[in-house]
Amino acid sequence: MTVKATSAPAAHQKGPGLLSGLTNPRVYCALIALALLLIIPMVSGSPFVVHVFVTICVFAALSTAWNIVGGYAGQLSLGHMVFYGIGGYTTALLITHFGLTPWLGMLVGAALAAIVGLAIGYPCFRLRGPFFSLATIAFLEVVRLLSIHFHEVTGGSAGLIVPLKLGWAWMIFRDKMNYLYIAFGLLLLCIAVSYLIRNSRLGFYLTAVRERDPAALAAGVNNTAVKLQAIAISAALTALVGAFHAMYMTFLEPATMFSLATSIEIAMFSLIGGLGTVAGPLLGTVLVVPLAELARGWLGASANGLHGFVYGTVLVIITLTLPGGLVGTFGKRVGRWIDALPGGGRVALVREAPALTAITGAPGEPILIAKNLTKTFGGLVATDNISLTLKRGEILGIIGPNGAGKTTFFNQLSGFLHPNSGTVSIIGPDGVGATPTSADGFARMGIGRTFQIVQPFGKLTVLENIMIGAFLRHPKVEDARAAALRVAKVVGLDDVKDVEAGTLPIGGLKRLEVARTLATEPNILLLDEVMAGQSQADTQRMVQLIRTIREHGVTVVAIEHNMQAIMSLSDRIAVIDSGKLIAEGPPQEVVRDRRVIEAYLGEDYADAQGL
Amino acid sequence: MDVFIQLLINGILLGSMYAIISVGLTLIFGIVRVVNFAHGEFLMVGMYGAYLLAAKFGLHPYVSAIPIVLLLFAFGALVQRFIIQPLLSAEEHIQIFATVGLSTALMNLALMIFGADLYSVPPSAVQHSINIGGFTLVIGQIVMFVCALALVAGLHLFMQSTPLGRAIRATAQNRNAALLMGVRVDRIYVIAFGLGAACVGLASALVMPLYPVTPTIGTYFVLTAFVVVVLGGMRSMYGAFFGAMIIGIVDSLSGYYIAPDLKEVVYFVIFILILIFKPTGLFGLGRGTE
Repeated sequence: MTVKATSAPAAHQKGPGLLSGLTNPRVYCALIALALLLIIPMVSGSPFVVHVFVTICVFAALSTAWNIVGGYAGQLSLGHMVFYGIGGYTTALLITHFGLTPWLGMLVGAALAAIVGLAIGYPCFRLRGPFFSLATIAFLEVVRLLSIHFHEVTGGSAGLIVPLKLGWAWMIFRDKMNYLYIAFGLLLLCIAVSYLIRNSRLGFYLTAVRERDPAALAAGVNNTAVKLQAIAISAALTALVGAFHAMYMTFLEPATMFSLATSIEIAMFSLIGGLGTVAGPLLGTVLVVPLAELARGWLGASANGLHGFVYGTVLVIITLTLPGGLVGTFGKRVGRWIDALPGGGRVALVREAPALTAITGAPGEPILIAKNLTKTFGGLVATDNISLTLKRGEILGIIGPNGAGKTTFFNQLSGFLHPNSGTVSIIGPDGVGATPTSADGFARMGIGRTFQIVQPFGKLTVLENIMIGAFLRHPKVEDARAAALRVAKVVGLDDVKDVEAGTLPIGGLKRLEVARTLATEPNILLLDEVMAGQSQADTQRMVQLIRTIREHGVTVVAIEHNMQAIMSLSDRIAVIDSGKLIAEGPPQEVVRDRRVIEAYLGEDYADAQGL
Repeated sequence: MDVFIQLLINGILLGSMYAIISVGLTLIFGIVRVVNFAHGEFLMVGMYGAYLLAAKFGLHPYVSAIPIVLLLFAFGALVQRFIIQPLLSAEEHIQIFATVGLSTALMNLALMIFGADLYSVPPSAVQHSINIGGFTLVIGQIVMFVCALALVAGLHLFMQSTPLGRAIRATAQNRNAALLMGVRVDRIYVIAFGLGAACVGLASALVMPLYPVTPTIGTYFVLTAFVVVVLGGMRSMYGAFFGAMIIGIVDSLSGYYIAPDLKEVVYFVIFILILIFKPTGLFGLGRGTE
C-alpha cells in the first residue's frame, strides 16, 4: 500500500466553478426541463393548465420526498400521507387558533412529521418488505381514524376550512400563478435535497443497507441510524408539501389528507420513473398526472374511477415490463445523448488519495483479547470456551475442519454474534479494553472482516463497493473515491472498477471482499477464506497482499483451508475442532501436534505415524 | 354480564367471516410467499358476482356460492399465472407494487362499472336472528361460523391426506427441494393462489346477504384480514382461524366499551404491536416475517 501522507494544496483539488458547471449539458438540460414547468403554464395562462402544473409540482415533490425512504433506503412506505396530513393539519390549526403564518406553521408541521417519522421508523425498520408496508398503512389508518374521532380539534369528517386571508403572508392568492411559484420552489427543494443525499455518504450508505445489511454493518454503517435519517428528512419534506397543498385547497378532511390511495400513487410515480433515482419521481409524475387530469377533463364525471384504473393498470404493466422504471431502463442511454451535447463528456478529475490513518503502538502488545467465548445454537455448541489473545502486527492463521466453529468465532470477534458467555475486548490506543455493542461499532473500533460467503452490493460498481468501506474514515465523497481507487489498485481490481459488482466472477468477488474491508482502514483484519476459489496466481497475489498489509502495521487473522498458503504466511496458528481451541503455536509445531493430525486425518493416521 | 356474553358471541360470529377471508390470505402467503394486497378486491369481485347472479337470475347468494367459488379460483389462478409468476424472482418491492396495482385497478374498474352506489341482494331469511337462551344470533352469521369451521377442517384434511396436499406442503416448506423431488412447483403455486382466491369467493357469497357491496369494501375487509394473518403468525391456517376469532371479539368489545369509531384503532394498534414485538404471531404458530 502506498502511503501518501502529504495532501496536495486545497486549491488544486477544487471542483469546476459554478459558471463552468452551467455549461455542462447535464446541468443545463436539467435546468431547462425544470424551467418548462413554469414556462408552459405562464405562456398558456389558462387556469386549468396552471392547476395541472401545480398538481404536477406537488405530486412530483411528494414522490421525490417519498423516494428518499422508498427508493434510496428501499423501505416501501405505503402510508406516507400521514406526514402530508400532519403538515397540513398543523399549519391550518396554527393559523386558526394562533394566527401563525403558514410559512412558520409548515416548519412546525415538518418538525412534528420528522418526529413521527422517527417514531414509526424506529420500531418498524426491522420488518421485512411487505410487512413494513403493512405497518405504515396501519399507522396511516390509525391517524386517520383518530383525526375523525377527535373532531373537536380537526373538524372530523366534516372537514376544516382554512381562514381565507389573502396575500403572501397567508399563502392564499387570487392569482393562481403565485401558487405555482411556491409549488415549484418546493419541488426544487425536494429535488435538491434528494440530489445532495444521492451524492453524499448518506446516499451511498442507504444503498448499501438496502442491498446488503451485513456487509454494510461490517463497513461500519449503523443501519438503523441511516434509515432513520432518511425517514426524518423524507417526512419533513412531505409535511412541507402537505402544508402548502392544504393552503392551495383551503379545505382539509381526513379522507384526503390521510388517503391510502394517494399514498400508493406517490409511490407509484417513483416506480414508473425509476426507484432510487433523482429524476425518476419527477419523470413518473410528469408522465402520469397530466394523463389522468386530461382524462378527467375530457370525460368529466362519467370517467369516475378511470384515472385510478389507468394508474393501477400502468403500475402492473410497469412491474412486468420495466421494473427498473424509465430512468433505470433508459437513463444510461439518454445520459450518453446528453453528454454528446456541447460541453459534455468531461471526465472527473482524479484526486490524490487522502492520508491513511496511522496505526500506532508497539508490535507484540495485546490488541484484542477474547475470553472464554461460548456460543450455542440450540443443542450445538459452536464455540466452546475459546480464549485467544491477538498480538499487534502478527498474522494469525485459524485452521480446522469444516463445521469446527471458525466462522462462529469470527462472528463473535467482529460483533456479528454475541457470545452466550465470555467477552471480546478491543484494546484501544490508551491501553483500555472496550466492547462495542453492535457490529458497526466493532468496525468503527478498527475491526475489519470479510465474509466467507461473499456479500457484494450487487448493483453498485466495484469502486462504489469499496467506497462504502472507505466512507468510514473519509466522509467526503471525493476523498472516499480517491481512497477506494488506491485500495482497488492494491488489490488488483482497478481494471474492473466500473463494472457492476454482481457480475464479477468468484475470484474477483473474494478480492472485492478484501478491498471493501481494507478500505475501512482497520487495525485488525479478519479474513474468512479469502483464498478459496482463487487461481494459483491469485493465491500468490493474495499471500503477497496480506504480507504488505501487515507491513503497514495491520494485525491479520485469517481462516484458511489452503494449508500451504496459510502455513507460509502465519506467525502463529490456532486450530479449532468441534468448537474447541485444540492447539496454538508456531506453524511448524502445530502441524506435528497429535490432536491436530487426529482432527484432520483421524486417530488411525495419527497412530500410524507413531505420534 | 349478559351484555358481555352477547358481545362475545357477536365477536365470534364476526370473527368467522374474517377467518374465511384470512385463511385464503394465509394460503397465498404461506405457499407462494407473496403478500396479496389485492385480496380485498377479490372479495369485492366475488360480491359483485353474487349480486349480479341475484339480480339477473334471482339466485340466492348461498346458491351462487358454487359458481362464485369456481370463478374466483379461476381468477386467482390467472392472476398467479400472468402477474405473480413472472415476478417470483423479482425483487420484493416489485411484487408489492404488482399486487397493489392490481388492487387499485380492480377497485377503480368496479367504480367505473357500478359507480359508488351501494348494492345489496333482496332480503332473505338469513338476515333474521334467532334467540337461543336469551342471546340473539343472526342466522347468516351462524352459517358463516359453520362454514369457517368446515373450511379449516376441509383444508386440513386436504393438506394432510391427499398427494396434492402433500405436494403443496412440501412446496411451502422448501421450494427448491420440492422442485428436485419432481413437484411441479409452478403448477402448485397456481393451484395455491386459486385456492386462496376461492376461499374469498366463499366468503363473498356468505357476506353478500349481510353487507351491501361497494367498490371500496375490499379495503375495509382486507386491512382487518392482514391484522388477523399477522396475529395468527403469517403462515398458519389454524393461527389465522384463532386470530380471526380474537379480532372479531376485540372488534365487538371495543366497539361497545371504547367507542364504535375507534374499534379499528384498537386492532391496528394490536397489529403494530404484534408485528414489532412478536412477529411469529400470538401463538408462535408461524415463522414470522423472517
